Amino acid sequence: MNRLKILLVKEWRESMRNKMVLFGVILLPVFLVGTSIFMITAAQDGDPIEQIILFNTALMYFLLLPTIIPLAIAVYSIVGEKEQTTLEPLLATPISDTELFLGKAMASVIPALIVNWASFGVFLLLIRVLVGDVPLQLLTAPWLASIFGLSPLLALFSVGVTMIVSSRASDARAAYQFSSFAILPGLVPLIIYSTQKTLVDMRLIALEALLLIIVDVGVLYFAIKLFRREQILTRWK
Amino acid sequence: MITARGLTRRFGDLVAVDSLDLHIDKGEVFGFLGPNGAGKTTTVRMLSSLIAPTSGSASIGGTPLGRDNRSIRQRVGVLTETPGLYKRLSAWDNLMFFARLYGINDAEKQAEKYLKMFELWDRRNGLAGSFSKGMRQKLALARALLHEPEILFLDEPTAGLDPEAAKTVRDLIESLKSEERTIFLCTHNLDEADRLCDRIALFKTKLLTVGDPQSLKEKMYGRRTVVHLANPRSGIEDALNLPFITKTEWVNGRLLVSLSDPETENPTLVRRLVELGADVQFVNELRISLEDLYLDLMEGNHESA
Repeated sequence: MNRLKILLVKEWRESMRNKMVLFGVILLPVFLVGTSIFMITAAQDGDPIEQIILFNTALMYFLLLPTIIPLAIAVYSIVGEKEQTTLEPLLATPISDTELFLGKAMASVIPALIVNWASFGVFLLLIRVLVGDVPLQLLTAPWLASIFGLSPLLALFSVGVTMIVSSRASDARAAYQFSSFAILPGLVPLIIYSTQKTLVDMRLIALEALLLIIVDVGVLYFAIKLFRREQILTRWK
Repeated sequence: MITARGLTRRFGDLVAVDSLDLHIDKGEVFGFLGPNGAGKTTTVRMLSSLIAPTSGSASIGGTPLGRDNRSIRQRVGVLTETPGLYKRLSAWDNLMFFARLYGINDAEKQAEKYLKMFELWDRRNGLAGSFSKGMRQKLALARALLHEPEILFLDEPTAGLDPEAAKTVRDLIESLKSEERTIFLCTHNLDEADRLCDRIALFKTKLLTVGDPQSLKEKMYGRRTVVHLANPRSGIEDALNLPFITKTEWVNGRLLVSLSDPETENPTLVRRLVELGADVQFVNELRISLEDLYLDLMEGNHESA
């Protein structure tokens, strides 16, 4: 088993035993999907415009989850190592700085994407069962491109920001609060949609993807710089 | 096995380790003693290739620091100042995680060996967070030994252990020594250092002195004979008039005589005292503890040896 995989397994094993992480990873998607389904079914016989708004709002959640879920995992993964003073024994092993960084990042991004897309699947399934036909005219290509294309970029942004913030924080709650602004890019389509200035279209998605790629490269560059063992042992609080 | 030449580490303006020169042989137990903040941890971090020196060089098992740090880390075991265990993982999972990172083939067998050695086998499925301080320390030691390193850096290995567990660790260090493993032992337990270490270094940012504990004491204090007299009277020390005596002094009613070779000179000394009418009750050698040496050097009461 390579070291990256070993680290991933350890991270997930630890996360599964942390109630705060579990809340972010499991309960939040369940709550958001449940609330959306409840509101859409409640408005089933009402105004079609209202139903469209509710459906679009529900789709927004699948752009927020990829930013919120990795944030929860990454905060506890990094601050947890600091709190338990496990970084030094870990760095004393033959693991490389890159493996450590990638292990921490992937341990947060992979479950976030799996849970997000699984939640999306469950949402569509429940809509079909409870409402009948999925309003396919609402589930447009831009939306699918957002949910499947932007999610990894949003998750990477969230992890990068969280790693930078967590390297300076000694308390998980403080790191969580300061990292929260990592959800902002996920709110962009919601803001645009809410102002009714334009509809979510492929041009907008492509623009946001491009911006996210640029920002992700910058954020991850700084995060990787902070993830050198020299920095971790001498600069991290 | 471990060599350092002018090893220096600065943090901004602060010099944590200043021009450290060391040579530690294979199979040697080397005590590294110094007060908190002396730079011991920084030294261990440099020698275990965790951080780079600002200047100077070192080689670990023949591999220069900075050339193949990954292979150095594969060959050394580090017990850090705090146990640093994953509290939400069991003792078994903690060891298996590190065993796999070190690429140990028979990871399960190694984990079992050390859990049994430290009497943690029955608690292997217990979460490390539920362990007592002593149990955590033992688990951290097991982790440091898992990959059978040639060189071990142990930072306060018996801290927090009950006397029985501390003895287990000391016995373990003895047995590791007999296996020709090199042990770099940072400790505040001077008695432990005196008993276990082949050589010790007293360190406070700079190396103050290095040598085997007994020679260091003799080098700094010489050898002294304590004479208990039934009728202590001042002036008798001047009347002794023996050429081999380098110094005499009265301490708590006892006569302290500094000699270079007590084994041959003590009989002459006793005969002379009897001739001078002294009633000699006891004659013994003054035992200087490592603590005396440590405190004197750290407080600057002596020149570095």
